[in-house]
Amino acid sequence: MALKLLLTLIIALVTGLFFLGLSRKMIARIQWRYGPPLIQPLIDIIKLLSQKSMTHGGLFNFGLVLSLAGSVILLLFIPLGEWCIMNKSGGLLVIIYLMLLAPFGTALSSGAAANPNASIGISRKLLMALAYEVPLLLILLTLMTYYNTISISGIIVKQQNAGWSLTILPLLLSGIAYILILPAVLGIRPFAIVKAPQEIASGPSVEYSGKFLAFAEIQHAFQTYITIALFVNLFLGGASNPGYFFLKMLVVFVAGILIHTVFPRFRIEQAIKYLWRWPALLALAGLAVVVILDKI
Amino acid sequence: MNHSMKNQLLSLFTEIQIDIKKDNEMIINAAKNAIIGILSFCKSKGYEHLALVSCVDWIEQKKFELVYILSPYPEQEPEFSKKEKTNIILKTRIDREQPEIVSVINIFKNAEPYEREIHELFGINFNGHPRLTPLFLERTYKIPPFRKNFDTREYVKKVFDEIPFIDKKEASK
Amino acid sequence: MDRNQISKWIKSPVKMGHKYSLHAVYFCTGCGIIEIPPSITARWDAERFGVIPVATSRQANLFLITGYVSLKTLKAIIRTYEQMAEPKFTVGFGSCPINGGMYWDSYNTIKHLDKYIPVDGWIAGCMPRPEAIFVAVTHLWTLIDREMADGYKRYRKNYKFYRSNQEKLYGKLEWPPLFQKDGAK
Repeated sequence: MALKLLLTLIIALVTGLFFLGLSRKMIARIQWRYGPPLIQPLIDIIKLLSQKSMTHGGLFNFGLVLSLAGSVILLLFIPLGEWCIMNKSGGLLVIIYLMLLAPFGTALSSGAAANPNASIGISRKLLMALAYEVPLLLILLTLMTYYNTISISGIIVKQQNAGWSLTILPLLLSGIAYILILPAVLGIRPFAIVKAPQEIASGPSVEYSGKFLAFAEIQHAFQTYITIALFVNLFLGGASNPGYFFLKMLVVFVAGILIHTVFPRFRIEQAIKYLWRWPALLALAGLAVVVILDKI
Repeated sequence: MNHSMKNQLLSLFTEIQIDIKKDNEMIINAAKNAIIGILSFCKSKGYEHLALVSCVDWIEQKKFELVYILSPYPEQEPEFSKKEKTNIILKTRIDREQPEIVSVINIFKNAEPYEREIHELFGINFNGHPRLTPLFLERTYKIPPFRKNFDTREYVKKVFDEIPFIDKKEASK
Repeated sequence: MDRNQISKWIKSPVKMGHKYSLHAVYFCTGCGIIEIPPSITARWDAERFGVIPVATSRQANLFLITGYVSLKTLKAIIRTYEQMAEPKFTVGFGSCPINGGMYWDSYNTIKHLDKYIPVDGWIAGCMPRPEAIFVAVTHLWTLIDREMADGYKRYRKNYKFYRSNQEKLYGKLEWPPLFQKDGAK
């Protein structure tokens, strides 16, 4: 059991860092230049952990640890292939609650650093979390109603019999809505509003130096892994073989990066208007379809 | 167009000399106390844009020369086509020992930063200017730095070369 | 470039980390800033060396001073340099930080940058081309390997002298001293 836990953490960290490095390399190649090597995020983390960092007090340290802990806890509820550590407790409902712990932790720690850029960054981060939570909750409700279970492993098993959720006709609207909000949850362009280095001097991480920035990068790697793994498990079948699972995650991530390289950035009110209009309406329509079909 | 304006100016003001060069530059040399009148007259004729206020240091003749450059906005006056657009350059000379002149800020509001810069760098006092505080420089100088009797090499030797290098032998004692 | 030699990574990962991920603070000093965007865009790519510009000085460890330094700019440079996380490296671009360059007898620029903040290396030129910037980065790697890039240690050790030089220039400084005694922060 402890071995499974440790192995899940290590695999998630390695996959997350590999995805971050792959994104930098792919963006560079699309822009007709060579890029950094694939292990560049790891080199950055090694350098950052050996720097002498500056702290702003107890709440600053605590908030960052809270956000990292939030991501790690969320990791335990998502199945990886056939392993799922917290299999029998809560499933999708707990994920709905724990998803807000990571932005909340970052907000605490950036608020303790008395920098106005950090305040703007946290307000944007929490607004984005509010914006994509609305369609995401509707989609998860749709899934829970259709499959009549709250456990993700149960959903995976049912998909192995009936095909991917994306191909089941009543769930198609929810699937399209989830694809539309996936860049917002991942934090890639056009929704890379939180970390905007040119506008607000990189938002919440403006006062991070040394080991704090290393933790923020690790948390970003975990968050990327969690988002893509959730989508693959819920809508693309989730595989019993870990290699097949990573292949599906890779396809989703590459599609996301291809969108990331060509889009500029939205403003925050444009992002909220978009996320609360079409994806939310599609998710609501999908929920209505599933509920009506259930009553019939 | 140019000649009618020139005749009007010559008839209205004394102590004035007008040259027209290169078909689009009218250079007016006037006395110190006539510039307000000339500038108001030119503004009423359509030359509404004060492009620059500048200063030249004639150290042998012991005078400062202030230069005002005006130009019209071509869209507002239909008879100012691009070929006939004339820049008016107004020059006056003031005394170098006690440099003082009236500020043109009541006629052209955008003369404020130019006159502030000239005050800081040349030391000319503008009467009626609301804010003659330092704009670019970090410190005060005994002689304003753009004057020709300000010796830059002496100043550099006195201020910057006196600061010592961080030498290893001296620092490790 | 020995980035792919695993044995060196295992022996001293800290040094290799400092070499191959230099985050430069995007501070636009003087006329030399015109040479930085070409060297980080697609034609002369700086990201393959690990050099990438970051938004704040807290996240950076490389400071490029590109061009002449006037008196107002020096205050901002000192404050930015003191906010960076150690270990940090400074590189002076162009001939103006070296000995005054084109503005050698100007009343408003400083002539030797080394008297006010510690500098690890200089790049000659007015302005250096992007290839010169990359040669400088590789020289900086060699210095880091031999532990000779110790500008930040010199600043800590001789802080009294640096501070007295800064105060000779400005009179009273608005920010308090960074180190109280030698070494303690």
